[in-house]
Amino acid sequence: MSEPMLTVDNLLKHYAGAERNVFDGISFDVPKGKVLVIIGPSGSGKSTLLRCVAGLEPIQGGTIALNGQVIDRGEPGNEKSGRAKRSSQLRTKIGMVFQSYDLFPNRTVLGNITMAPVMVQKRPKPDVEREAMELLKRVGLADRAQAKPHELSGGQRQRVAICRALIEHPELMLMDEVTAALDPEMVHEVLDVVLELADAGQTMLIVTHEMQFARAIADKIIMIDSGGIVETSDDPEAFFAHPTTQRAQEFLRTFEFSRHRRTEKDGAGAQTA
Amino acid sequence: MQSANILLQPGVMPRLLQGLWVTIWLAAVSVALSVPVGLVTGWLMTLRNPVIRVIMRIYLDFIRIMPQLALLFIAFYGLARAWDWNLDATGACVFVFVLWGGAELGDLVRGALESIPAIQYESSYMLGLSNWQTFTHVILPQAVRRLLPASVNLATRIVKTTSLATLLGVVEVIKVGQQIIDAHRFDYPAGTLWVYGVIFAMYFVVCWPLSMAARYLEKRWANE
Repeated sequence: MSEPMLTVDNLLKHYAGAERNVFDGISFDVPKGKVLVIIGPSGSGKSTLLRCVAGLEPIQGGTIALNGQVIDRGEPGNEKSGRAKRSSQLRTKIGMVFQSYDLFPNRTVLGNITMAPVMVQKRPKPDVEREAMELLKRVGLADRAQAKPHELSGGQRQRVAICRALIEHPELMLMDEVTAALDPEMVHEVLDVVLELADAGQTMLIVTHEMQFARAIADKIIMIDSGGIVETSDDPEAFFAHPTTQRAQEFLRTFEFSRHRRTEKDGAGAQTA
Repeated sequence: MQSANILLQPGVMPRLLQGLWVTIWLAAVSVALSVPVGLVTGWLMTLRNPVIRVIMRIYLDFIRIMPQLALLFIAFYGLARAWDWNLDATGACVFVFVLWGGAELGDLVRGALESIPAIQYESSYMLGLSNWQTFTHVILPQAVRRLLPASVNLATRIVKTTSLATLLGVVEVIKVGQQIIDAHRFDYPAGTLWVYGVIFAMYFVVCWPLSMAARYLEKRWANE
């Protein structure tokens, strides 16, 4: 595999007043052009881990490095210090799509997408608009460029949010359960876009509850639970077919369903009555 | 019906309109000055600093608990005594209405700012916007939309409350009405109703469009 784009080393996260750490020294890396998927039960801290990488949560130990350069270094006791002090320029290198409703409601779809590249990256507006329209076409929303977010469906909003992050050409994309708030029939239209990004070589760190999707997109999987990594795998197929740890086996089994009603054979006795 | 003729007496309508102008001027200046005061007050109210919090709390509660008339008397009679600060009646009115309007508007600004979900700040951060860009381009436009209908209603209340200025001797529309009624006590003893009727219509003409505007804004921005 190629050199790591993101390196998380010995990350320690603690909430003020909490008894135990959310993470007790987690380490992993995301190679350039690859997709790392984080799975784990609710409350295991998947989203928190993503938010730490994003700089939205202060970390109390360890380091986060992008392309070998440390961008965040943990400091004990900084639980309440808020978002990490990262430069605007650095922040444009990491794109993020949230669970829901993060578009700016007072701007059009196009306005949402073009705002940051014009204001932060100082790129010429006509170029940015042209690229925004290309992105919208790619996700099938070119005809909604002038719509306001509240006029769109949840799935459309998420696709716009992906465009808004992509237009800054981030080196790393973070996806925080991007379909968790969607109606089931909209999940596919969003995840198809994410799959296409992976095919195009976008480096991504993804948190998801959709196991089929995780299996389809991951180059690398980590499962976390109770503050640490339970299992890491570079072979998602093997992981989903035969997880090695018992905890991972139990977790994956919770996504399976088996038929509970009696079959005809079982019910034979009842029929005679 | 005879008594309606009081309105046709020379000078009556022009004087009432002049009084209305004073009312409008007083309200307009008070509202205009309340806006910056309210914005700063509202911003201060969102700060976490405990000392500022307590001060703002006391300010807001004091203004809300005190009747506006009491505030006017304190400003007009009290301040001159205490600090030799000689406000004329109009100055005292503007001072009190701005103190009051600023506190009420500040509370509206605080509520609007605090109602913006954290994710709006977070996605702005991820996109690389500076704190100032986030405030001016993302947070403030949304806050203003949530705030404007209620602020227009506050402006309507300020217009109506300017009538208290009469009691400090400011010659606004109510005072003018009283003077007219007094002057015609003998020739039109039943003219009172007509004069106050016109004053009512005048307040209505000023306040009704404001409250329609508030309703329109509320509807238009309901789902954005």
